[in-house]
Amino acid sequence: MARHIHVLKVHHLTLSFPTRKNPNPKPVLDDVDFGIRDGEILGLIGNSGSGKTMTSLAIAGLLPEGAAITGGSIKFRGQDLLTMKPRDRRKMLGSDIGMIFQEPSTALDPLMKIGKNLDEVLVAHGVTDPKERREKILSTMSTVGFADPEAIYERYPHQLSGGQRQRVLIAGAALLAPKLLICDEPTSSLDTVTTVQILDLLKSLCRKLQMTILFISHDLSAVRNFCDRVMVMRDGKIVDKDTTSDILTNPKNAYTAELLTNAKLDTRMLGIERAHVDYSSSPVLTARDIEAGYSDRVFGKGSKNNVLKGVDLEIYPHEILGLIGSSGCGKTTLIRSLLGLLPHTGTATVVGRRIGAVFQDPVSCLNPSHTVKWHLNEALRVAERKLTKPERMSRISAALSEAGLDDSFLGRKPHQLSGGQRQRVAIAMCLITNPGLIIADEPFSSLDASSSAEILKLLTDINRERGTSFLLVTHNIHIIRQIAPRVVVMDNGKICESGLTSEVLSSPKAPATVKLLEAETKLHGA
Amino acid sequence: MTGKQTALYFVRKAVELLATLLLVSLLTFLAFSVIPGDTARTMLGANATTEQVEALRVQLGLDRPLPIRYLSWLGGAFTGNLGNSTQFRTSVGGLIVSRLPVTLGMSIIAFILIILISYPLAVLSSRRPGKLGDQICSVLGHILFAIPPFVLSLLLIYLFGSIFKNFSVGNYAAPNVDFGMYLQSLLLPAFAIALPKIAMTFKFLRSSIIEQKASDYVATAKSHGLSDLKILVRHILPNSNVSSITVISLVLSDILGGSLIVEQVFNLPGLGRLLLSAISQRDFPLLSGIVFYLALVTVLLYFAADIFASLSDPRIRIR
Repeated sequence: MARHIHVLKVHHLTLSFPTRKNPNPKPVLDDVDFGIRDGEILGLIGNSGSGKTMTSLAIAGLLPEGAAITGGSIKFRGQDLLTMKPRDRRKMLGSDIGMIFQEPSTALDPLMKIGKNLDEVLVAHGVTDPKERREKILSTMSTVGFADPEAIYERYPHQLSGGQRQRVLIAGAALLAPKLLICDEPTSSLDTVTTVQILDLLKSLCRKLQMTILFISHDLSAVRNFCDRVMVMRDGKIVDKDTTSDILTNPKNAYTAELLTNAKLDTRMLGIERAHVDYSSSPVLTARDIEAGYSDRVFGKGSKNNVLKGVDLEIYPHEILGLIGSSGCGKTTLIRSLLGLLPHTGTATVVGRRIGAVFQDPVSCLNPSHTVKWHLNEALRVAERKLTKPERMSRISAALSEAGLDDSFLGRKPHQLSGGQRQRVAIAMCLITNPGLIIADEPFSSLDASSSAEILKLLTDINRERGTSFLLVTHNIHIIRQIAPRVVVMDNGKICESGLTSEVLSSPKAPATVKLLEAETKLHGA
Repeated sequence: MTGKQTALYFVRKAVELLATLLLVSLLTFLAFSVIPGDTARTMLGANATTEQVEALRVQLGLDRPLPIRYLSWLGGAFTGNLGNSTQFRTSVGGLIVSRLPVTLGMSIIAFILIILISYPLAVLSSRRPGKLGDQICSVLGHILFAIPPFVLSLLLIYLFGSIFKNFSVGNYAAPNVDFGMYLQSLLLPAFAIALPKIAMTFKFLRSSIIEQKASDYVATAKSHGLSDLKILVRHILPNSNVSSITVISLVLSDILGGSLIVEQVFNLPGLGRLLLSAISQRDFPLLSGIVFYLALVTVLLYFAADIFASLSDPRIRIR
């Protein structure tokens, strides 16, 4: 057999979702044409909805129902995948083509031990000897960085952290050393420190097992130190492809350049100004000695695990306070306690107006069966009960327009909105209650670069024009550095360091801060 | 999760079970003590003198204060002695046991029918949701679900008894006399109980399977090269089972309730008929015995469902 320079060759691939009413809709993939060379790591970037995931699913043969490939071919090591029988194609998955998905928390069967989850990959590919399978699994698990694979083998998915689960999934995909590994946003739900570890692992696996990787991401910084070449997708077309360094430093395509600018989230380029904070005024929120935790007590036995071990915090008017820390440090528990969503001890005093909240995932924050207008009306009803109908309507459209959406969105339901638009609706729901403080928990991490930039600008505008204070929780230190005058760092349920952002981030004292900054440097470059 | 915690979980569940039973027995006892009607008077008839009734009350122990009566009944209940029926003048326990083959047999057959029919239908229906086959199943399910068991019983009797003439009502034979006949006589009533429950279980399973199909771990399993059949059997069904266990345990306790009525329509000598005669005759020991027995079965079912759920879902034991 001839040696193929290209492990995978996608040739003028066109894909659409035809319906009876509309047999020739706008294609989701439009003349996609690229090859992946043996041993390379090829990045595929673009905003959400650009067709990245559809491309990967088309290669794997896992397209959703209703998708129709109307033209082109996909060749894997010279073999045409589209003319193969579906059964034979499925057999190639796991052994020739491996896949890793975005969400490690739900990607493993919760009822099955890790070992069993991995074991069936080998069974499906005809490894009959149980002892051989177990050895293979244990050795692969130690390759992906588990110090004690025997213990992990016996665990259930819910007993592992997100990073550990992603390692298990990588182990599952790499068990049979497939030639091609498709990674669809493998790090976007992980924190910075874990992201760096996972990328390092993938890179070393790629070398060790001589794998070729198609790396899909909306995060340009993840691509930087990882990919050899990068392709840029927009509206189902590949608009740019080049070596990573050329794409990132010297983009020839205007759209690529725009993506890069957005991805940098550079406040000067986005025209963001900082608000002036008066630290002599009294804080809008004062939290003292907040403790919270979970208990697994049965009959009073068992332990009470304190996630928060006495947190003090104050936020001043007009201030954006940054809150950083690796996952599991207690950030989410802290804001849930501040919002009164979790039982806790200690005091949290809010001066004046309400607290609003914006969460990470705008999809699950909105009720799928109701319109934007309903959501805003609900939020307003909680804040103010005695309003006439016209007053309500004017408040609703005012909040919506402040969040950057016009009245045409009022009748839409969440599934008719993009990720950025959903986040805007969530912000409008906050604004309509006229809050003095908005707690924003990773508001950018589920958004692509362009939407993140827009939301960042929106939040800072609200801060400056309304004087609303923000508690901004994010793993993006770059954003904190630019817009938050003060930052607190959490580690293991406590605040380990706090102060002016410029000082904390330039001369970190706590080990947790140092670790975060190291990961940040590694991922984003100096 | 240590072995000790698992053991504690089971102990806690068992204590809950006992407490529930105790509460049920107390409520049963209280309820039957406050309803009007006097056992002794009913037994002796309207012509008996007050002295005769009083004497019988003393003989039955009805003159003792309520708490004492409750405690002595409770003591009996936990040692398996539920007292004597005032109507049949034999032990309540014996009466219940003699009627069990009908009610229990019918419930078991109904349950087997539910599982055997609803699972395959749900799997087939969820293959292509919204398509013709799925829609027919859903509409049929709605219709079946809406018909009460006793109406369904009458329909089945008419259909098989009068039109096909291969079933006659009241042809019951005890299992140790003629087992074939026994099964035959219970099959139709079991169907009458099972049909609405099949519709319910089918509907629930179908949506649960569709939900599981869209989950991330199914995508992972596909990317591992597993066949669709294997993914169904090893991942989708076990996961939808976990959410179905609660529904199925509800269905099971419902079957018991449904069987009481269906027995009446099919003229079967089961617990339902025993219960009715106990009520009409103010046969207090028999009544509380049957209610206590039904409560026991129901509570045991839920206990079994809890244990089963925790065995099949490792996440449950944590709470």
